[in-house]
Amino acid sequence: MRRKFIGWGLAIVAVLAIFFPSMAWMQTRITHYKTNYRTPLNPTILVPGSSASQDRFDALIKQLRQETKTAHSVLKVKVATNGKLSYTGSIRRNDNHPFIVVAFANNRDGYTNINQQARWLNVAFKDLVKTYHFNHFNALGHSNGGLILSLFLEKYFDQSPTVTIDRLMTIATPYNMESDSTTTRTAMLNELVAGRHKLPKKLTVYSVAGTENYSSDGTVPANSVSQGKYIFQNQVAHYTQITVTGDDTTHSDLPQNKQIVLLIRQYLLQETLPAKDRAVNQSRFTQSQAGEPEEP
Amino acid sequence: MQRLWRFNQRVGKWRAMRVIQQALTVVYPFILIMTLISAIGQSCLAPNGFFFHIYHIGQWLPGLTLWRQAFQVMGLVVNNVVAVMMTFATGYFLAKTYRRNELAVGLLSALAFLTLNVNYEVIDQAKRGGSQFVENNLGPQGIFLGIVVGLVVGWFASWFLQKLAHWRWFTRLTLTGRVAWLLVIIMAVMVLVGYGMSWLTTGGLNGLVYQATRAMITNPGHHGVMILAVTALNNFLWWLGLIGPVNLAGNATVNSLQNLATAVQQGSAWNVPHPVTLHTLGDAYANFGGAGMTLALLIAIWIGSTRAHDRHIAVQTALPNLVNLNQATLLGLPVLYNPILLIPFVVAPAVNIVLAWCAITWKLVPPMVYPMPQTTPGPLMAYLGTAGDWRALLLSLVCLTVSVLIYLPFVKLLNQLPEPAEEEEGEDHAA
Repeated sequence: MRRKFIGWGLAIVAVLAIFFPSMAWMQTRITHYKTNYRTPLNPTILVPGSSASQDRFDALIKQLRQETKTAHSVLKVKVATNGKLSYTGSIRRNDNHPFIVVAFANNRDGYTNINQQARWLNVAFKDLVKTYHFNHFNALGHSNGGLILSLFLEKYFDQSPTVTIDRLMTIATPYNMESDSTTTRTAMLNELVAGRHKLPKKLTVYSVAGTENYSSDGTVPANSVSQGKYIFQNQVAHYTQITVTGDDTTHSDLPQNKQIVLLIRQYLLQETLPAKDRAVNQSRFTQSQAGEPEEP
Repeated sequence: MQRLWRFNQRVGKWRAMRVIQQALTVVYPFILIMTLISAIGQSCLAPNGFFFHIYHIGQWLPGLTLWRQAFQVMGLVVNNVVAVMMTFATGYFLAKTYRRNELAVGLLSALAFLTLNVNYEVIDQAKRGGSQFVENNLGPQGIFLGIVVGLVVGWFASWFLQKLAHWRWFTRLTLTGRVAWLLVIIMAVMVLVGYGMSWLTTGGLNGLVYQATRAMITNPGHHGVMILAVTALNNFLWWLGLIGPVNLAGNATVNSLQNLATAVQQGSAWNVPHPVTLHTLGDAYANFGGAGMTLALLIAIWIGSTRAHDRHIAVQTALPNLVNLNQATLLGLPVLYNPILLIPFVVAPAVNIVLAWCAITWKLVPPMVYPMPQTTPGPLMAYLGTAGDWRALLLSLVCLTVSVLIYLPFVKLLNQLPEPAEEEEGEDHAA
């Protein structure tokens, strides 16, 4: 009888010793899930530059589809001037890395227009988050699309507190508009620099410039692209500037330029590139290592 | 019940059954130690272990990596040969019933089993690296195949030795010669079989069996009936010694991830897209102690068993069962190849799944959404996985009680069995 009591006592103690610590642990675990949870859906949002439609990235996407085994699905959003959204295409089920192109009915150049477009981007973005429930994404902006994305991140992104941005790549984005100067700042650059503290601290930024000659890609001055350092440097986690030269480096060719497609795959989509493709990029940046044997 | 008892007695007289029971008794202590080691290793030391988390073991245990490695090594040793031991023991005891040279036959069986599980990819000169045996198949997974090989080889070798005993040329041979010839024949057959298999699958013969069962029962989707059928079949396979073709403890399926996503975003587990999955039913409510609700079996033994043997095993395997590792119970009691225990072993989880299915579809309890370590004690699984919903805890306790009640009459039926003879005594008598 006595032994039985001891046995029951031990069992109860054991149950309690497991139950209460496990409750405490569960609380921390669930908080952890809620704060660190990342949705499997991880879209890449592409914003075209001025005068370009939602079809601007078709060539790029086609090329990406050819080169990578996974066919990313494409959703295109067009924002009308009254903020109405029209969708074409769709995100395929089980495609966790779709492309979402956001374009604007009013796609004109100029300070006020671009600011307006950043606001429209916010409208589209909030609707996308509401519909597809993603909580992190990457972004790619071509030309003024990079300005729209940067303005959006500074001015409107805090309206979506559940979402974080991992990586932003801008291609030939004229942070100082059409100005070639390294000293005078346009209104756009002033605004971006003034609001730079609101950029996400964990963001990684790649700014790609193309050059036909030593100063420009034919449309955007190289100096204007490199002014981006005054916005991102020391504000975001990493800011990398890349200059691409060679064939197909005029401003409008850049999104489908072979090197830039590789950069997109390597840095923005974080694909593991086959060795031969990696070599193309590496020889471009690290000329000194060209003669050395390749890493296994 | 009486009919079941008579059936059990009849089956128990079969030579193969007796041999398997004897072999399981011999292998049990090894399995017990292995399971205890992996229970401690997986629940207290592994980074996703349950006790590791709740007692914050990583923060106060000095030399954590050393502990982990030590337990890993100890676990590996037994874990990687347990099926070989089982094959040996089966062949040994079978030959003993035929009064043949049992040691030689046992060794032959073990060799034949190893031959079947040679990693043919390594033999292929082009692909270097990897181990020479398909190690997975030599652990608990391979027990079923080990038993089959042990029986086949044991029977064949005994028959062979007997058949040729009168052949003049053969009688001139010494024992060495006979065993050597036998070995040559068996090896030749097994290499042929094994090599043929290697064209079909890389996992050895065992891999083929597992592939077939897996193909049959993977991905039951979210239809309750399918989940029920899959779990029942899975438990039946466990009973046969085909341990783990379906991993019930699957946190990582797309469904579970989508559930988690919704729960995290909405802050509650009620409106998830897939409330009824193998995970939310089987894992949460029908897997206490591992396949077949063996935790309930242990409790039923504590309540209703008068056999000292059963009670010992229940105590010895309590800790591993608490963290859902029940191989020792299955082999020690044994549950494997025990016609009486087969019924509750399949029925108890099925009843629980039905209970949980009803409760979840009628929205009485939320489904489990948060991933839990596999070593979480069964009755806490659903409670913790629903972020501490008391209704889930209640349902878990109901499930446990129901299972105990299902097991109880069968455990009492086992009371009528005589205590199993201790092996060493038997040895003395034989000698």
